[in-house]
Amino acid sequence: VLVIRRRAGETVVIGNDVEIEVLEICGSHVKMGIRAPSQVLILRKEVQLTGAENRIASQLPRPLHLEALRDGLRNASGLRLSNESR
Amino acid sequence: LVPRLKTRDFGEIDYSEDSVIEFPHGLPAFENERRFLMIQPPSMAPLIFLQSAQTPSIAFTAVPVATVEPGYDVSVLPEDLEAIGCPSPDQVAAFVILAFSDEGPATANLLAPIIVNAASRRAVQAVRSDSRYSHRHAIGGVPCS
Repeated sequence: VLVIRRRAGETVVIGNDVEIEVLEICGSHVKMGIRAPSQVLILRKEVQLTGAENRIASQLPRPLHLEALRDGLRNASGLRLSNESR
Repeated sequence: LVPRLKTRDFGEIDYSEDSVIEFPHGLPAFENERRFLMIQPPSMAPLIFLQSAQTPSIAFTAVPVATVEPGYDVSVLPEDLEAIGCPSPDQVAAFVILAFSDEGPATANLLAPIIVNAASRRAVQAVRSDSRYSHRHAIGGVPCS
């Protein structure tokens, strides 16, 4: 990892057309301004992680997994089934 | 005439327009999927199925967040709250999406709960900006092989 120290108002450049400016530092928060071509996707890392996780989650679970999970969650929450509804 | 919808898990079902939940921005990686149906078969409770009303093959399995993390502290960014019409806390329901794998236990994405404004039926996947919760929080149900 490349580490660069910057103060508010200072900028770093990535490649030819991406610029990141440190706009404001307030306690533990840093406000950044990013200038990049419109085809460059800029996301919070957490959003990227969630997108990847959503792709996995959208895959069809095996029915056995679903039923095991359902029963596990019911037992954990004390939501026990009576015999006839099973 | 009752509208019908092809689903991933339940064949073709009847639904009413007022049971559709709208995600104004879609979900991360599924930005074009804006309309979902929340299917809650009693036989599968507490599991919930979020079925895309636009694409039959797209569905998510979810649970109310309290089912997997009773003390979950909901934290939603202002822009996400705005997207669903700034509901009051008592109008809000929170769910988490589950992911399954053949190798390990199922996991819940506690980093990014689905926040539903029950009054307006608008929802957002509210990705937190802190690192307090994992996007792969293991929950029981070890796979049966």
